[in-house]
Amino acid sequence: MKEFIAILTNELYKTIKRPRTYIGFGVIIFICAMLQAAFYHDGKEILSFVTQQLDNVFNVQGNILNGNLICFILLQTLIVQMPLLVALVTGDSVSGETASGTIRFLLTTPGSRTKIIVAKWLAGLFYTLILLLLLGFMALIVSKWIFGTGDLMALNSESLTIIRGDDINWRWGWAFLIAFLSLGVVASLAQMLSCFIDNSITPIVSVMAIIIVFTIIGMFDLPSFDVLKPFLFTTHMISWKSLFEDPIPLSDIYFSSIVLLIHIVLFLSVSIFYFKRKDILT
Amino acid sequence: MKKLFFIFICFISLQSKGDDDAQKLIRELNKKFYALNDYSANIFMKFDIPGVKMNNMNGKVFFKKPNKFRIRTKGIFFLPKQNPMQNVSNMFLDTNAYTTVISGYEVIDSRKCAIINMIPLKNDNELILGKFWVDVSNPLIIKSQITTKNNGTLETQNYFGDLVQYALPSKIVIHVEVNKMKVPKMMAMDLKKKSSDKSLANTKEKGTIELNFSGYKINTKLPDTVFTEKDE
Repeated sequence: MKEFIAILTNELYKTIKRPRTYIGFGVIIFICAMLQAAFYHDGKEILSFVTQQLDNVFNVQGNILNGNLICFILLQTLIVQMPLLVALVTGDSVSGETASGTIRFLLTTPGSRTKIIVAKWLAGLFYTLILLLLLGFMALIVSKWIFGTGDLMALNSESLTIIRGDDINWRWGWAFLIAFLSLGVVASLAQMLSCFIDNSITPIVSVMAIIIVFTIIGMFDLPSFDVLKPFLFTTHMISWKSLFEDPIPLSDIYFSSIVLLIHIVLFLSVSIFYFKRKDILT
Repeated sequence: MKKLFFIFICFISLQSKGDDDAQKLIRELNKKFYALNDYSANIFMKFDIPGVKMNNMNGKVFFKKPNKFRIRTKGIFFLPKQNPMQNVSNMFLDTNAYTTVISGYEVIDSRKCAIINMIPLKNDNELILGKFWVDVSNPLIIKSQITTKNNGTLETQNYFGDLVQYALPSKIVIHVEVNKMKVPKMMAMDLKKKSSDKSLANTKEKGTIELNFSGYKINTKLPDTVFTEKDE
């Protein structure tokens, strides 16, 4: 166990020391601040696009443009971009060391290859968690500080759901947990590809390519794609949104969470299996 | 020829009698509206709007003559653009702005109601046609159908409790028609949901907003600040 903690500490240290780790933090802060500023100045106009279908009939009363709505929009926007930030760090956890040759030194340490790969995986998850916590702070806490709190007008393709302000914080908690599971899949996938490939860029680009292709398949309503959709992890990555429906489709959320967990276990298992048999030729 | 003249006279006298009846009912109704200067009450709102999922809400409602109106509550809610609680009494009290005619009678909830059509006299009026079902025995607006230039037709049904002397309802059911909600999947990020039939995109669906009032406080000389101060 001591051995494992030493490897894990070393991996965490490496993650913290690498400059690319901070690109993700910078991007999150920049995007959140930029969107918050945009909504602060033009929020009412942006929202009118959403409410225009109701504006002919109703006066929508109350503070719509509040911290909860901004957080919802930011999370919805960033869930597509965040995998890139996660892959940027986790995608070269093994391949980066292979490319630079440090993998030889790493494997001379007493820890087994399984421990090394699990430690790298945990360090990747730790980075993902910090990234999400930063997003939570920027998107939820800072937005509430700027825009105030209130009811959330959650937008789906065929309905608007108004979630009352006093019934929302627990939903955010679970939403961020599901987002963590989703990004955990990305981190695990990136690490798996990182085990297969010996250069840093290819796993990162491959992860993004997979996510883009899967997301596009998910967006189109074609019968042939409908068969594929339940098997794509990107379909389940967005399941945090279901927490903002009324009633909450609990069985869908459980199913999606299980699918995401299965992906994580599968990718990690393949990583361990492959890395244990990998020839180190660099 | 004499017969024809007789029928014509009968029609004219019936018509003028109808007008007189309408005027009489409106006079009675306006007496009630005149007696009311302001009110505050608790309000409980139930929403059944197609495409909008919203829980019931509690709040407080304030009204002051001629048309100051506010619902104070914590959170988001929808009200029709033509607010029947704000506009109707105002509309009736301006007796020089319209003419009325009774177009028939109908029984609603075992009350005999005269159907009064309200037609504005000026073209610049927002109102196109108002149709009011007024209880004949105790003049109260039981049902209304108001068509305006900008906001279409709004149908409401009123239910009365103790405060009939002020024509204040204990419940108002507002019937609305809204277009089927449609947001691009890409924008809503609904990867899980299948798009609904596109031919239904422009179909109108019916919904209701139910407003229940309790604890009315009448003519308490509400200050104007009630209508302007910010929500807590």
